[in-house]
Amino acid sequence: MNLNKLIVLSRSVKLGRNVFAARGACLHHFQSRRFIRSSARSLAYAKDLFLGKVNKAEVFPYPEISHEELEEINQLVQPVEKFFNEDVDSMKIDHEAVIPPETLNGLKELGLFGIQIPEEYGGLGLSNTMYARLGEITSLDGAIAVTLAAHQAIGLKGILIAGNDDQKAKYLPKLATGEHIAAFCLTEPGSGSDAASIQTRATLTEDAKHFLLNGTKFWISNGGWADIMTVFARTEVVDKDGQRKDKITAFIVERAFGGVTSGKPEDKLGIRGSNTCEITFEDTKVPIENVIGEVGGGFKVAMNILNNGRFSMGSAGAGLIKRLIELTSEYACTRKQFSRSLSEFGMIQDKFATMTLNVFVMESMAYLTAGMMDRPGVPDCSLEAAMVKVFSSEGSWICVSEALQVLGGLGFTKNYPYERYLRDCRILQIFEGTNEILRMYIALTGMQYAGKILTGKIKEMKKGNVGVVFEILGKKLKDSVVRTVDFGLTGKDGVVHPSLTESARMFEQNAAHFGSTVESLLYRYGKTIVEEQLVLKKVADVLINLYAMTAVLSRTSRSISIGLRNHDHEVLLTNTFCKDAHFKNNFLLTQLQKNSPENNDANIKKIAQEVLAKRAYVCSHPLDRTF
Amino acid sequence: MNAPRQLLRIQCIGCIARFLGAHLQTPGSQHNYGQLPRPFHCSAVCSMSRPSQTQLEKTVKDETLNKDKGLVTHDDLFERAARDSKTKADFNRVMDVFSKKDIRRRGHVEFIYAALKKMPEFGVERDITVYNKLLDVFPKEVLMPRNFIQRMFNHYPRQQECGVQLLEQMENYGIMPNVQTKVLLAQIFGEKSHPMRKYQRIMYWFPKFKHANPFPIPHVLPSDPVELARFGLTRIADDLDAKITIYQYPSTDITETGEEVMRPHIIGIQSPNQRSLLAKHNPCRPVFVEGPFPLWLRKTCVHYYLLKADPIPSEEKVEEEFDPEMIGPEQSLFYPQRLELDLERDMGDDFSFDVDDVEEGLVYAMCMAGQGDQVTLSQWISGLQETCPILGQIPTVFRLESGPRELQTTSDAQQTPEQEVETDQIIEEEPLHSQRVKQ
Repeated sequence: MNLNKLIVLSRSVKLGRNVFAARGACLHHFQSRRFIRSSARSLAYAKDLFLGKVNKAEVFPYPEISHEELEEINQLVQPVEKFFNEDVDSMKIDHEAVIPPETLNGLKELGLFGIQIPEEYGGLGLSNTMYARLGEITSLDGAIAVTLAAHQAIGLKGILIAGNDDQKAKYLPKLATGEHIAAFCLTEPGSGSDAASIQTRATLTEDAKHFLLNGTKFWISNGGWADIMTVFARTEVVDKDGQRKDKITAFIVERAFGGVTSGKPEDKLGIRGSNTCEITFEDTKVPIENVIGEVGGGFKVAMNILNNGRFSMGSAGAGLIKRLIELTSEYACTRKQFSRSLSEFGMIQDKFATMTLNVFVMESMAYLTAGMMDRPGVPDCSLEAAMVKVFSSEGSWICVSEALQVLGGLGFTKNYPYERYLRDCRILQIFEGTNEILRMYIALTGMQYAGKILTGKIKEMKKGNVGVVFEILGKKLKDSVVRTVDFGLTGKDGVVHPSLTESARMFEQNAAHFGSTVESLLYRYGKTIVEEQLVLKKVADVLINLYAMTAVLSRTSRSISIGLRNHDHEVLLTNTFCKDAHFKNNFLLTQLQKNSPENNDANIKKIAQEVLAKRAYVCSHPLDRTF
Repeated sequence: MNAPRQLLRIQCIGCIARFLGAHLQTPGSQHNYGQLPRPFHCSAVCSMSRPSQTQLEKTVKDETLNKDKGLVTHDDLFERAARDSKTKADFNRVMDVFSKKDIRRRGHVEFIYAALKKMPEFGVERDITVYNKLLDVFPKEVLMPRNFIQRMFNHYPRQQECGVQLLEQMENYGIMPNVQTKVLLAQIFGEKSHPMRKYQRIMYWFPKFKHANPFPIPHVLPSDPVELARFGLTRIADDLDAKITIYQYPSTDITETGEEVMRPHIIGIQSPNQRSLLAKHNPCRPVFVEGPFPLWLRKTCVHYYLLKADPIPSEEKVEEEFDPEMIGPEQSLFYPQRLELDLERDMGDDFSFDVDDVEEGLVYAMCMAGQGDQVTLSQWISGLQETCPILGQIPTVFRLESGPRELQTTSDAQQTPEQEVETDQIIEEEPLHSQRVKQ
């Protein structure tokens, strides 16, 4: 209440504009040069956006790789591309729902089973950025991409990031060559996406040298042929107070330990060549040396694995859609309708623009995130990775669907690969945390971060503390006087290229508006915001848009500065995307205001509740009559 | 359906009639529609005649012949008709007889009032065709106003009132008039008469209220007690997951001594939530079988019984503890289900009502049974034990309410079922008796 009055008041006070203007202009001219740190960073870009801060040092300039790395990756990419173009028969894999052994062997020979495993263990030892680059190509076949991802992005990642040297030496060499295949066993029949209700249990044997593992895991990619599995199970742990508690522990389980049975492979809509099945553990004897991390510390391991695995979906989606653009544009330029070629029609052009914009943004986000993760230290990029996943999974779905639409009826047939891509692509929105859950994660993590810092201020405001009130009043006054928000992205010492000034300003406006919206949301809902899922969804969407805008601004600024080929096209794409995202954000932020007429949430909830109470569509049939 | 068409025609005729003079004979044109020639005052709708050489007709003839002998009420007519049976056919016959008796339909208002009164007796109070037929007793055309003065004043007030009364009875029984009714009203009273207004008002409100009840009950309830119990139980238990179990079908066994032993039906309902709550019940605390509670389904009353427990005392309540690692703000495996913030919801956004919560005992299951004695109900409990084995360890107390309240405890958890039944039977005499009285 207080806050609203203040805002009204501050808006009405327009005095002293000139006095403040001079001061405001010089306020933001602080140095923007990036400084190099070797220690773990505490700064996080996306989280700081919740406070209305733009941590430009994190995202500008756009991350680069060294010449050697670039050369290395280019050398790697060529044979892989050749292999996927010539030796992989995706149609057959999809039809027979199995990847033929010669294809798998080819992948193993290329080293694709150990992309991120250090060279000392026989892997390629590539960085996240280079992993993302390879992901662009492997995504040309959904089944292979998922098989590889299940193997190394999640399956063996536990050993890689939390395993000790003995475990690494024992397991990684064989995993790197693809002699052993890994799987990640977290999901359970009763739990789905709710990992907290894991029922699989590991009990220590009497000699305290083994754990006996019992339980069933569901939807395990590679479950049918995996030799090494990262399994999460409950174990009893005595905590500090001497109380016995169930904690989750991560184990490395070899199929050879015995008692492991896998069920029939699931028959799926897409990624049919990948193997997904149920795995049952029955008194599987796991030696205590095979615990990853410490007993009871499995939860953190699982979190780290999943947080780091998600970013690569951006480049995978981009790789796929780049290929689709090539295929469909070929068709659109040759096919004649009404004595004009398809490419001359505005609505077809619209589809190509959509696809191009989406690829461009996905790519920018994915490599920005990968670059952030590759920096020294332990960067906290889980939010960014989740955003990349949400944006690219939804973007891919739209783009594949548009590509199919360009071909019309032909796209719908099995003669063309579009329907397969469409089916394969659908899983992106579901696995590795559904997009709904990730949106919640994105919004709530940021809210928690902002809340910790803002709690004191908001409490003072609620109390009606005069000092704080005046401070806010002053700030609002200043905001209304100095018209544009300025985070120092543009202008003298700016990090964004001048040809993107307008887009950067839009971004700055949104970012500032977002910060104040978060504050008012915290003021309004406090910790009960957990229950406001529709609000959180909008918050997450705004943040995703902001991050996407950042990524394209940063990327294009770099491209112009170093004179990459066709950078003028990038400028065009950036300006188009930023304008679009700006207005979308404005709408979303307006909806988030209190009593906003644009907000339909209450009605949406009510519709759903009424339908769900009856568990059916409740309206009468339009042909029904009462008399 | 030619009724609407006819309605339209009436309107047209009305227009023409205004031009040609009020006394033009219109029915001639109606006959063009392939209908048999019929007497002037009959409508096309219900002109089915039926040869009847019954006693009834004779009495009617007698009546007309001996008119001066005295006043014979129309109630009598129905009484006489109903001497042997009271069916729709009989009712229709009486109406036919009256219509044919006299071309002028003398006393039709009294007849209609009498008929309306007798309708429930004949069980036709919900039959739209009967109402239409009754409406057909009114003479056609003659009651219609023919000029503006007549239209201005209450033309043939008694007849109009009677028509309104008829419609009101329909309304009270929830019968929606149909197009035939409208046609008849238009033919009898004209377009702007009081009965027509009444009709229009009914037609405005009835459709709006037709589905006002979100929990409709069919007019005819199932006669099978099992089906009735099923309907009643699903009606009370507002949970789509709740499962009906038939513990015993009604049957009659004949023992060796030739005695007939009635086995009453026992139908229970329990939702998965109730089942899991019962599984968590503290075996030291008893559960109660309470009842019978009445449930009215239109005019039928059925009784149900509850298996419930006393509210859990606050010291026994165990708050489920969650691992803060798994649901707290630090968790990123999925999403934080709880934020660690010292901020509550702002008053301006708190739309919850301040309601005093009254702690009620948990209801674990419900049943309906053919007999409300303890033997039958303990059969229900033992049936429940199959899905909820914990019931075997919980003392079950029967608090069957009827006549003087009695509290019987099968206090000992270790008691065998046979013993239980024995003690039950002894104690149960009183409620059993009163239960029978009730039924």
